[in-house]
Amino acid sequence: MATMAEPVGPMRPNIASADIQVPAIKDFEQVDREIGGTLSPTKAWFMGLGVAMTCLGIGIAAWTFQIYAGLGNAGYAPPVMWGVYIITFVFWVGIGHAGTLISAILYLFRAGFRTTIYRAAEAMTVFAVMTAGLFPIIHIGRPWKFFWLIPYPNWRLLWSNFKSPLVWDVFAISTYLTISTTFLYIGLIPDIAVIRDREKNPTRRFIYSILSLGWKNTDREWRHFTRAYLFLAAFSTPLVLSVHSVVSFDFAMALTPGWHATIFPPYFVAGAIFSGFAMVWTIIIPLRKWWRLEHYVTLNHLDATAKTVLFTSMVVGCAYLVEFWVAWYSGVKPEQEYFWNRVFGQWWWAAWIMLICNTILPLSLFSQKLRRNTAWLFILSIFINLGMWFERFVIVVPSLSHEFEPWQWTSYTPSWIDVSLLIGSFGWFFMWFLLFIKQLPIMAIIEVKEIIPPRRAAAPAHGGHH
Amino acid sequence: MTFETGSAGVKRRAFLKVLGATGAASTLVGCDTDGIQHLIPYVVSPDQTVPGVSNYYASTCRECAAACGILVETRDGRAIKVEGNPAHPVNKGALCGRGQAALQGLYNPDRFRSPMMREGTALKATTWERAMAAFTQKLGEAKARGDAAKAVFLNQHEIGSFPAFLDQWLAAYGMPAHYSVDAEADLPSIAAHKQVYGVAWPMFDFGKAALVVSFGADFLDHWGMSVPQQLSWADARARADKAPRFVYVGARRSLTGLNADEWIAAKPGSEAQVVAFLRGATSATAAAAAAGVPEAQLTRLAAGLKAAKPSLLLAGGFGAMATELCVAVAELNKSLGNVGVTVRPAEGATGFDRVAGAADLRDLADRMKAGGVPMIMVRGANPAYAMPKASGFAEAFAKVPFKVSFSSYPDETTELCDLVLPDHHPLEQWGDADATAAMVSLQQPAMEPVFETRATSDVLIAAAQADAASAARYPQKDYRSWLVSRFPGGAAAFGKALAKGVVAGKPALAGPAGRSGAAARAPAAGGSGDFTLVVFPSPVLGDGRGANKPWLQELPDPVSKVCWQSWIEIHPLTARRMGVQGGDHLTVTTAAGSVTAPAWPYLGVREDVVAVALGQGHTSYGRYARGVGVNALDAIGAGEDRSGSLVLSGLKCTVGRAAGHSDLVTTEGSARQHGRGIAQAVAAADVGKLEKVSLREEPMEAKAGEAAPAGEHAAARGVTPLVGPFGGENRVAGNPDTRFGKGLRSPVAADAQGQLADLQSKDKGMYAADHPLGMAKRRWAMTIDLARCTGCSACVTACYAENNIPTVGAPWQGRTLNPMGGYDDRPGANILKGREMAWLRLERYFEGGEAGEADFEARFVPMMCQHCGNAPCEPVCPVYATYHAPDGLNVQVYNRCVGTRYCSNNCPYKVRYFNWFGFGEPDRRQYAFPEPLNWQLNPDVTVRGKGVMEKCTFCVQRIREAEHRAALDHKPLEGDSFTVACAQACPSRAITFGDAADDSWSVAKLAADPRGYHVLEELNTYSAVVYLRKVNHPGAGQATAAAGEH
Repeated sequence: MATMAEPVGPMRPNIASADIQVPAIKDFEQVDREIGGTLSPTKAWFMGLGVAMTCLGIGIAAWTFQIYAGLGNAGYAPPVMWGVYIITFVFWVGIGHAGTLISAILYLFRAGFRTTIYRAAEAMTVFAVMTAGLFPIIHIGRPWKFFWLIPYPNWRLLWSNFKSPLVWDVFAISTYLTISTTFLYIGLIPDIAVIRDREKNPTRRFIYSILSLGWKNTDREWRHFTRAYLFLAAFSTPLVLSVHSVVSFDFAMALTPGWHATIFPPYFVAGAIFSGFAMVWTIIIPLRKWWRLEHYVTLNHLDATAKTVLFTSMVVGCAYLVEFWVAWYSGVKPEQEYFWNRVFGQWWWAAWIMLICNTILPLSLFSQKLRRNTAWLFILSIFINLGMWFERFVIVVPSLSHEFEPWQWTSYTPSWIDVSLLIGSFGWFFMWFLLFIKQLPIMAIIEVKEIIPPRRAAAPAHGGHH
Repeated sequence: MTFETGSAGVKRRAFLKVLGATGAASTLVGCDTDGIQHLIPYVVSPDQTVPGVSNYYASTCRECAAACGILVETRDGRAIKVEGNPAHPVNKGALCGRGQAALQGLYNPDRFRSPMMREGTALKATTWERAMAAFTQKLGEAKARGDAAKAVFLNQHEIGSFPAFLDQWLAAYGMPAHYSVDAEADLPSIAAHKQVYGVAWPMFDFGKAALVVSFGADFLDHWGMSVPQQLSWADARARADKAPRFVYVGARRSLTGLNADEWIAAKPGSEAQVVAFLRGATSATAAAAAAGVPEAQLTRLAAGLKAAKPSLLLAGGFGAMATELCVAVAELNKSLGNVGVTVRPAEGATGFDRVAGAADLRDLADRMKAGGVPMIMVRGANPAYAMPKASGFAEAFAKVPFKVSFSSYPDETTELCDLVLPDHHPLEQWGDADATAAMVSLQQPAMEPVFETRATSDVLIAAAQADAASAARYPQKDYRSWLVSRFPGGAAAFGKALAKGVVAGKPALAGPAGRSGAAARAPAAGGSGDFTLVVFPSPVLGDGRGANKPWLQELPDPVSKVCWQSWIEIHPLTARRMGVQGGDHLTVTTAAGSVTAPAWPYLGVREDVVAVALGQGHTSYGRYARGVGVNALDAIGAGEDRSGSLVLSGLKCTVGRAAGHSDLVTTEGSARQHGRGIAQAVAAADVGKLEKVSLREEPMEAKAGEAAPAGEHAAARGVTPLVGPFGGENRVAGNPDTRFGKGLRSPVAADAQGQLADLQSKDKGMYAADHPLGMAKRRWAMTIDLARCTGCSACVTACYAENNIPTVGAPWQGRTLNPMGGYDDRPGANILKGREMAWLRLERYFEGGEAGEADFEARFVPMMCQHCGNAPCEPVCPVYATYHAPDGLNVQVYNRCVGTRYCSNNCPYKVRYFNWFGFGEPDRRQYAFPEPLNWQLNPDVTVRGKGVMEKCTFCVQRIREAEHRAALDHKPLEGDSFTVACAQACPSRAITFGDAADDSWSVAKLAADPRGYHVLEELNTYSAVVYLRKVNHPGAGQATAAAGEH
């Protein structure tokens, strides 16, 4: 039974996540008006887009220069042959995980708190995967030959090596991008129809008409739609687990100390969900405030996500500890020395940024007060993003800098090119995201309408009550 | 830079018309270099030349005074590789790194393109006609003025006929005999050898000695004839438990010192006290106090000397009393009965006869200062750089009214000259050398001159012919004719001898008597400080003459592993006391001056000693030399020891922190093995206890029955399987189920080498077992005997030369530092980022000495691609750019590589190198082969582009060439019929290459040596490189008879 209770004070009973409601939304018209209203461009939006595109421009300029002048301008210090680009690749793939988790898995589990945040998370997923997919290409020595990783028929009879985890990556990332894009789009169809109906501009209306595939809101369409949606949710669910597992194989399949570990797939998946939720916060907390949609993404929603973050944080923290235990238990000296060097040696600062951001700060979420404090959640989300970037840093760099051969131990510092491309990746991501939120509804209009209690939906529109 | 070279650029490649060593002497007829026909494309193909097939010319190396025999490989008229001449009695086919780098002198981009003449303050390009006119005019003027007797000719010391020829020529003009200058000659040792043994350089036979004691004689670095000495030393040490023990006495452990079993860290200048004690002239207590070493070390040394018959004592160095020390040690050799046994004067080399010393040059500087020298001619030598500032040589030189340089390079001395008549490179000219008393080593041009240079000998003949008075003395048209006319047996014999490069007999003209030498002047007394400065010639750059060759700049110093930089060695405890970290700048100040350079904390110097290498700090000499490092001579005063040698060590100095820090340009990551067993050793006494049956050679079928891990397996037989500190408990034994198959084949790789490679199978893919080249039957492999390896690094340079490896450390090859285009233009900037491309690197690990004690050990490991049978790099490559060839090679396909660099991540040996920039692309800033250095590139090897991986290929081009030649001859490939570049060069013969699956190759036997091990064996990579454990002889404080290793 849905809890109808209105907020009663600062401390409130924990609400089961399936039962989260949006009592401040009174009727369908209000939903259309409020969510549709977010689509009008504002000055702040243009400024934001300008910033994002400037960042992107920095990244494009840096990449162009790097392609021309050589990868040596990045900070690589052999044998640290992988650096910021691979770290950033894994970072964005990780970000891309929360979207599908929220939209697909939580859908299957009927977790109510997903309703108002899943669209943003899904869009985030698509753009994050688009960003991530660039980085292996940025990273390789001859980016103009990247298509050689794809097995395509050619007269030279050359084929890609299916033993290589990098080829698995190609499949994992492209599959994930395809499925998550399709899932996002299918879910959008009824919403696009709503916008189409409200749209006055004939050109835009025409485009929306095409995109909505002629949605007429018939029962038959709804039946097919819900079936398709359920099917795709089921189809995406294993991908959530498999994609980041495959990405983790890039490391786990190598014999490098610190990489060669069977714990990597679950550890990476937990980390991905963790970072993805943090990125959802980073995006949704300002949006709900700017658009005054706090009654859509309520504190109850955030509270529920915070519990997920707390849980995944503890999974990740547990994985960190297990890694140490395995290193000790293995009896392999290079492995043990590597872990010592990671946390107490050369890379202590990076490891402690990771540990503090990912395992210590999230413990604050045991406090309900903090779980419902949007300012804290936003700050924490930034720390978690930072911590998760550094988690990948700590995985990639310290291993390569401290391998079996002591003569080749080294250090690593990113260069301005690495930093520019990292900035560029955020520019690229936010450019797409900003463009998205002004073209398509960032909250699922139809699903919000579904949870509005019929009693209130039937009532005459009052409007304006926020 | 005040030079302006001609804009004509480099001539088109032209076919050489010189004699070939490939066999026939018949081409002797008509061998002039006039009227060159440009050869590609050929109109008429010259005899013996097949495009794409190498010709070899036997010649003589002139990179140092030793005069080793070389074979110059030429392809389509260009010299592409220098290798040792196996027929030559001095170096027996081996060649050091400096010799390998001769090619970069030949193709040096900063060589003069044409003669140069001073116009105002700058040297401007001119024509040979004008330059010769000016030269003959000045010669005539000197003669007319009557002051020719005061003219001076400085020649870079060399042996053979040229010095006598030169003196004859000078005499014709009424000029005095020339100075034969060699700034790196070991004059104190030479003087002592002459005095005691009667020859300048006797033959030292390490193999006969039971104990070798060196008093600062760095016979593996530069002292004397490094290649033959190294050959003899390695042969001696390879006899494992019967090898001579080696004690090094000196203030700094040089490369030679690091090869010693015991280091007696005597104070600089106190070695004589130690010798006095050994001769019984003083007490152990007094000697130990003077030398600052434990008394026990000295008494043990004395006891050892008494017991070891015969022994071999060597002395060298550049202290103020160096000659006296060398004489005392030579006398001690005599009294111990070593002369004629381990010291053999009769078989001595002549390379160091007649060298003029610093005393002569200082004396000359005084004369020049006083205006007593009207004209000076310099060929090869660079005294303006190699003489300390305090001698005032450069200023005095500048005062000479007319200065002629025959140098081909814009060095410091040439920069001061008025006329430059650039000489041919030794690889472009004729000559001879009497390397030992009974033989002549011939030098012939291997190719048409690269630039508009002329052999100085020919220039001198031409000048004489232009002078009516002396024309009659020179009927020959050039120096070659002159040589031939004096050669016993004439032209026919000469042509025949050329093919081999060496012939018994005497050179065309006996050498001149040599200069008597100016009186030496002892270094000025004075100078104070708590430290003593030791300055030593660099084993790589020599006295600085190698500094303009990028291969040598990039070759890490064998001891410090620093390149493209100067460094100051300071003991780690001293550094800690001073609060100095590696790279912090130190200033060393003596009475004569000071040098400032980054500190390198080194266990191998005494706590009260700092050491600096010579060779860097050029103000000129070309783009690779200029502005790199500091010249250690700036801290050295003008003073000589009795032999006339510059006193380089023993000066009192103060050491202070200077402002600044420069990261050390080093290739060293960690100098410690951390128990990883990379470089393993076995005590000499335990060599015999090593298991005779190698686990690696068990047949594959036997594996099922035996399940005991390697350690237990061996223990069951009552043998310690792995002796040495890192062979034991720290090592994780490999999976017992996966031993090597026969012929070092990997049991796990699923390819033609592995268990799935059923040679009878019909499913053989691309590689049929009966393929005519027999690839599938082979397993190319290598053994590296660490008991032989001295760490000299000749193999590294040989690899650069063979495989077109780019040098990356030049100041303009660095990366951008900011978006505005600022570049990291520190010398070695790329190497600071670990981006050196050396396919073969020489790792130098230290054992012991953690608390700073002198009793530490160094282990050298050449490390290259191990061509693993179960290579971790192969499965991770997404595009099959690296794959396994059926003959066991791990192959890298550059064209297929997209540059994911995953292979490098997964390589436990870290032997894969990435092209971060377009090092091989001429339009790039980082281009490593500026014209004409690119002429050296081996046409058999790809020059790699930007963004691809590369690594050691086991010289696959040589393998395929040998296979194809055998196939063309319808013969099987014979064992030991060819070898790879590193093994070919190795002056200690530590590297052996071949087919481990074929018993006719020596490598098949060596791989089964009980000392053998594979690096990181526990990773089951089944590598094809078998290292033979270093053999450790008792070190300090260990009973010489007992077993055990510290």
